[in-house]
Amino acid sequence: MSEPIYTPRERLLRVLRREDVDRPPVICIGGMMNAAIVDVMKKSGHTLPEAHNDPALMAALAEDVWEYTGFENIAVPFCMTVEAELLGSRVDKGTLECEPKIVKEPYPSVNEVEYLDVARLVKEGRIPVVLEAVRRLSKAHPNDPVIVSITGPISTAASIVDPMTFYKELRKNPAEAHRVLDYVTNLLTTFAWKAIDAGATAIAIGDPSATGEILGPAMFGEFAVPHINAFASAVHAHGAPFILHICGDMKRVKHLLPNLCDDAISTDAMVSLPKLKEEFPQLTTMGNVSTYALQWGAPEKIADITARLVRDGVNIISPACGLSTSTSLSNIRALTDTVKNTPVGRTNNELTVS
Amino acid sequence: MTQSASEIYKGLSDSVVGMDETLTVDIARRAVAEGIDAYQAIERGLVEGMNKAGQLFETEEYFIPELLLCADAMYAGLEVLKPHIRREDAHVRRKVVIGVVEGDTHDIGKNLVKVMLDAAGFEVHDLGRDVPPQVFVDTAIAEGADIIGLSTLMTTTMPNMAEVVRLLEKSGKRAQFKVIVGGGPVSQAFADKIGADGYSANAPGAVKLAKQLLATQAA
Repeated sequence: MSEPIYTPRERLLRVLRREDVDRPPVICIGGMMNAAIVDVMKKSGHTLPEAHNDPALMAALAEDVWEYTGFENIAVPFCMTVEAELLGSRVDKGTLECEPKIVKEPYPSVNEVEYLDVARLVKEGRIPVVLEAVRRLSKAHPNDPVIVSITGPISTAASIVDPMTFYKELRKNPAEAHRVLDYVTNLLTTFAWKAIDAGATAIAIGDPSATGEILGPAMFGEFAVPHINAFASAVHAHGAPFILHICGDMKRVKHLLPNLCDDAISTDAMVSLPKLKEEFPQLTTMGNVSTYALQWGAPEKIADITARLVRDGVNIISPACGLSTSTSLSNIRALTDTVKNTPVGRTNNELTVS
Repeated sequence: MTQSASEIYKGLSDSVVGMDETLTVDIARRAVAEGIDAYQAIERGLVEGMNKAGQLFETEEYFIPELLLCADAMYAGLEVLKPHIRREDAHVRRKVVIGVVEGDTHDIGKNLVKVMLDAAGFEVHDLGRDVPPQVFVDTAIAEGADIIGLSTLMTTTMPNMAEVVRLLEKSGKRAQFKVIVGGGPVSQAFADKIGADGYSANAPGAVKLAKQLLATQAA
């Protein structure tokens, strides 16, 4: 192998700035899409759920994931409950195999949300844990991008207000719903700023409760787009790039993608990224190796899928959605190794998918 | 059918589709006051409206918020009309035990499937969310269910769907039940892999699947 031209950090930053690179980076953004699989934790002994609460352990596990999987970034945290817990949701931290979940939302309706002091809130709960982990990781890894994954505004709001009611109130009580989303976005923004100050290279958001399939195009445009963009602008103003993951089949909201202020857009496996790029050449595409294939497929199959994405010119290669914790390390290695060894933009028979 | 009855049916259907809970209740009360058959008002009014809402969902004119509001209207109307159903109209309903598998608390998808099954005349036992695999099996056996419906939105909890199938096999009663699965990360391929009887991508599809599986069974 030839000498790498760019460090992993430079390569990712160049892609996010739409500059030329030697090949796509292969990353995994953490949060709902973390790669803290059981195989890694068993090897290292740094385990979940303990690592959700302890900065040293969180940093150590993030480093293990980076080292064993071959992803070219380090990512924290390993869940999407940090923000909601801070806002009053009861959280079950899960187990080694199973990610944390919201047990009970504190508010039955958007009308009953208490507006707490965000500047004080971010000093509490697990935000300091994440920030301390980021400080340690960014110091120890100057050449590797540290990505902090933050829960999207709609998903956070639907984790503090009973989601059944919340979705209905988007239609029945839009003004108050926007007020809750403003509040939540303010917290997420403050968290992101502190993460950037602590050394985060980029901020990522996954907002699985805000898919086009759930909200439809009208509500996606009215609620998801403005709050995600408010967050994106704040991240940009603080000097960091912003990666957005959109779950599910986004064909119904595709026309709204140019309105979103992301530096890279990550999609689920059913979306054709080359076609998306054809339609919207300005997008920086990221994705989208099927997590189903990663869990159940053979390494050769993963290598085929990955090589095709690289050859199709996808800008950043990553898993398409949340990884099952029972995904094997050998399958993830097949993904990361393939990106590092596949010639870009070249088709040859050896790599053609059967 | 009298003019008044057909107007009431249409009014109920339209108000469910129109997500208007208050109007649905008003029309349902008028139906009762005018002595219109409650069973017919439910079937040709409320259920008809919910089915239309389901079609609008399938054609992607309605999405989750709209379908939830239609369901609220339907249930509000049902509450008014149900006490007035004549005894002879009550019939044996096929039973479904449904829930979100252990480890997951996302239950909107499951709730929508429940709504559509209710509207289609199934008797639905809702176990709620974060339900241990053994509870599905025990409840299905105790209730004499026809179908077990499993839902999850999280990749990490999908193995619990396979565990339900495994426990059913272990109990020797697998053949008594049709197991159907659904939820964001779930697919037909996954359903096949774990030996479930069917998969649906959405709530209206789950009703079609349930009917189809029971029809095959009866044949």
